[in-house]
Amino acid sequence: MTARRAALLQGTLDLLILKALAAGELHGLGVSRRIEQITGGTFVVQPGSLFPALHRLEEAGWLAADWQPSENNRRAKYYTLTKAGRRQLGEEQAAWNQVALAIARALEA
Amino acid sequence: MPRATARFASLLRNLVHKQRVDRELEEELGTAVELLVEEKVRSGMPADAARRAARLELGSVESLKGQVQEARAGARVDALFQDVRYALRSLVRAPGFTAVVVVTLALGIGANTAIFSILNAVLLRPLPFPEPDRLVRLFHVPPQATFPGMKRFSLSPANFFDWQRDARAFEGMALYGGRAFTLTGQGEPRAIVAAAVGAGFFDILRARPAQGRVFRADEDAPAARVVVVSHGFWKTRLGGAADVLERSLKLSGESYRVVGVMPEAFSLGSWFPTSREIWVPLALSDADRAVRENHNNQAIARLAPGATLAQGLSELEVISKRLEQEHPQENAGWGATVVSLQDVIVGDVRPTLVLLLAAVGLVLLVACANVGNLLFARAIGRRKELATRAALGAGRARVFQQLLIESLVLACAGGAAGVLLAYASLRAFAVLLAGQVPRADEVTMDPRVLGFALGASILTGVLAGALPAFRAGRTELTDALREGGRGGAALGIRTRRLLVVCEVALSVVLLMGAAVMLRSLLALRTVDAGFDSSGVLTLEVFLPEARYSTPARRTAFFDEALQRLRALPGVTAAGAIDDLPLMGGSVQPIVVEGRPELLPRDQPTVQVRALTPGYLRAMSIPLLHGRDVEAADVDVMLVSRGAAKLLWGEADPIGQRVTLPLVSRKLARRIVGIVADVKQDGVAERAQPTVYTYTRERSSAGLTLVARTSLPPSSLATAAVSAIRALDPEQPVENVRTMVEVRDALLSSERFSALLLGLFAALALALASVGIYSVLSYIVRGRSREIGIRSALGAQRRDVVRMVLREGMTPALAGIASGALAALLASVSLERLVFGVSASDPLTLAAVAALLALVALLASLVPAYRAARVAPATALRD
Repeated sequence: MTARRAALLQGTLDLLILKALAAGELHGLGVSRRIEQITGGTFVVQPGSLFPALHRLEEAGWLAADWQPSENNRRAKYYTLTKAGRRQLGEEQAAWNQVALAIARALEA
Repeated sequence: MPRATARFASLLRNLVHKQRVDRELEEELGTAVELLVEEKVRSGMPADAARRAARLELGSVESLKGQVQEARAGARVDALFQDVRYALRSLVRAPGFTAVVVVTLALGIGANTAIFSILNAVLLRPLPFPEPDRLVRLFHVPPQATFPGMKRFSLSPANFFDWQRDARAFEGMALYGGRAFTLTGQGEPRAIVAAAVGAGFFDILRARPAQGRVFRADEDAPAARVVVVSHGFWKTRLGGAADVLERSLKLSGESYRVVGVMPEAFSLGSWFPTSREIWVPLALSDADRAVRENHNNQAIARLAPGATLAQGLSELEVISKRLEQEHPQENAGWGATVVSLQDVIVGDVRPTLVLLLAAVGLVLLVACANVGNLLFARAIGRRKELATRAALGAGRARVFQQLLIESLVLACAGGAAGVLLAYASLRAFAVLLAGQVPRADEVTMDPRVLGFALGASILTGVLAGALPAFRAGRTELTDALREGGRGGAALGIRTRRLLVVCEVALSVVLLMGAAVMLRSLLALRTVDAGFDSSGVLTLEVFLPEARYSTPARRTAFFDEALQRLRALPGVTAAGAIDDLPLMGGSVQPIVVEGRPELLPRDQPTVQVRALTPGYLRAMSIPLLHGRDVEAADVDVMLVSRGAAKLLWGEADPIGQRVTLPLVSRKLARRIVGIVADVKQDGVAERAQPTVYTYTRERSSAGLTLVARTSLPPSSLATAAVSAIRALDPEQPVENVRTMVEVRDALLSSERFSALLLGLFAALALALASVGIYSVLSYIVRGRSREIGIRSALGAQRRDVVRMVLREGMTPALAGIASGALAALLASVSLERLVFGVSASDPLTLAAVAALLALVALLASLVPAYRAARVAPATALRD
């Protein structure tokens, strides 16, 4: 599965971002690297998709953001999961598992 | 609702700090580029290539910014519209429910919007003059011993000019009054009442003419023959002539030069001097200006910049005190008062309009309770869906929010329909209100009215939706699922019963108000005013000075006119008087010959009317003692029983002589008869002591002819007018009305409020009965299993019916009881507005309670009947 094709699965990007932030706060590029890492390099999120998604999720109240110095001592915007975001992650995870299970069953049949 | 608050906060951030958000986004992306470059350098790339690669990977920062902003806006709009869309979808799926709710709310909000648009135009909108809050009216406060309860009295010229000279808190003051003319040379002769205005009148109002000029100060003198005409007069009477400023008007036989035309906006219908077709200078002679004891003029003033009404008032009070000492004979007991022009114009209708708005607000509350009830039933019906949504992570707050948005969507749809309804009814209101409520001609929908409608809609949505949304949001998933498909009977019954109690209670209050107003109106219509108004035709005739210059000529005209009226078929009596009963008129001090003349403050005053022989019989005013006036009498007088008692106590006044010092100190009049008391100042006032004067060949210029007829009086109108016209084709005849019409016209505002209150009460009653019906039907449906078991166990239909009726009547009776209590509390504010009945009249209250109990019973009967027909088997099988 290439990165480009993976991005077509709608909703996956949100799930991955929420998941990436479940372990703690990250800046934008950090989120991207984290997704790469936890998916074993299957997904590479382009900045053109990543930044709009981060802002959309922030607007929806699932992410909160604040400014902190980055590792190179520049001001960077760090994102964290809100309570609602954590709940949303649970919901999307459950929904995803259901879909995955169903697809797996369908393929086995 | 953390989600909602977060969204709200970010919305605010975006709105308030758009630039900062932009800068932050730039910085965020800039940092990302730097971090990417460092990453690549660390992995061994040369700096230049790393930067190029990073740029390539990130793409154009500008286009990325655009994408991010689009995503943000999209998320915001999405979140809002998601809820609205969901609400709309689920409402469209229930068209019956939606229609009932929208219609209910449209009626409630529409009625409120209509009443508010009247209130807005009449009470809230400032007068259409520059700096209207500095405009005031000046009045005398008459001695309370002679004019009990009267707080505003016309001014005497001499006192006014003293005020004008000495007061500093006013930028300007001007006298004005009415002057009757006969307009000829413009088609049919016409009586026309001009405003006669003193110097400075137009300047005080800051009114500029549309053409020409207003009066110069030197034209406020007797010789000036100049006139300013209104826009309407210029357009219709003068055909909009371009050379209007070169024309003259023939007023009572004299030529007046047109010097100006006022703009259309100046014609404010609800204030005498602005509602006129023409204006002439007041032009008091030096002798007139010196008159101190005769109070016939009105005054307008503009407060000086920075001066308050209280300052103006205290200044005039000081001056009045001084004038009392300087002129005790004329001024003892005469004070001064200052009232804002707005208050003078609309002050009288404020209590009525506020009452109507309160009443229509109650109707909206009833509508809210009804809609709340329906929403509640719907939420209970959907509790499985809602509970599932809540359990699936939407959260209770989210469900609450969703339901509230649904009710807001409904309320806004109802509000929009209501605004249309109100807009459509404005024309009807304008017709209904014309001439009864000041400024009614200015009633329109403006942004404030629309804002009110929006506010009312939102409030309605929240009020009706909050309780059901809260209760439904609390439903536990497990409960909802456990109950399965069966219509969980008792869910929220208590809440819904409470809503019924409220509805019924509010209806009781409204019905009580309407019933009391109606009884008051009936009392006013049927109150004995001292004369018989049925079968009487009235006609006003004002003889112009120019053609009827002597009293003898005027008398000859009226004698002949009355003769011709009496000759008409069906006419049994005819006579004339200067001012009809109920319409008010001259009030003067009176002195009994042989008794010392007292200070004005202590002088008894009486209503003074001039009549002709035949008037008493035409009006069926009983002669109690002595005789009626006769054609050949000289200086005779009739006194009312009240006047006889006031002046002579139990003694017989016949043959006694009195003078009316304002007319003449020398002219003594002989009392020839005592007549019954007649209400002179209005049906709600008590009959005041009255004297009627008569002298042959001394007729005044303006009289109202009255004819009693055995035929319907209105059928006589044409014949009566042509009879007078035949006598003098140039003589206008005005206000041809039956006496019943005269009386009814005086009650129009009472009729208007009784009509509206009745309408509101009927609406509330209908809503309440629908509410009772729907709750009861719901209960019966929910308990059909129980009812089935009962009937299976041998309960009679009668028992079932009784059970359901009890279920319906319990909250209804509770509502009636609490409503009766509320009505009694509210009656205090009504007491001032009703006549001949107490606002807390127990009989009326009992009737209202009985009516509501009956309606509640009727609304309960159908569900009870349905319950009685529940077949045991069906109910058990379900």
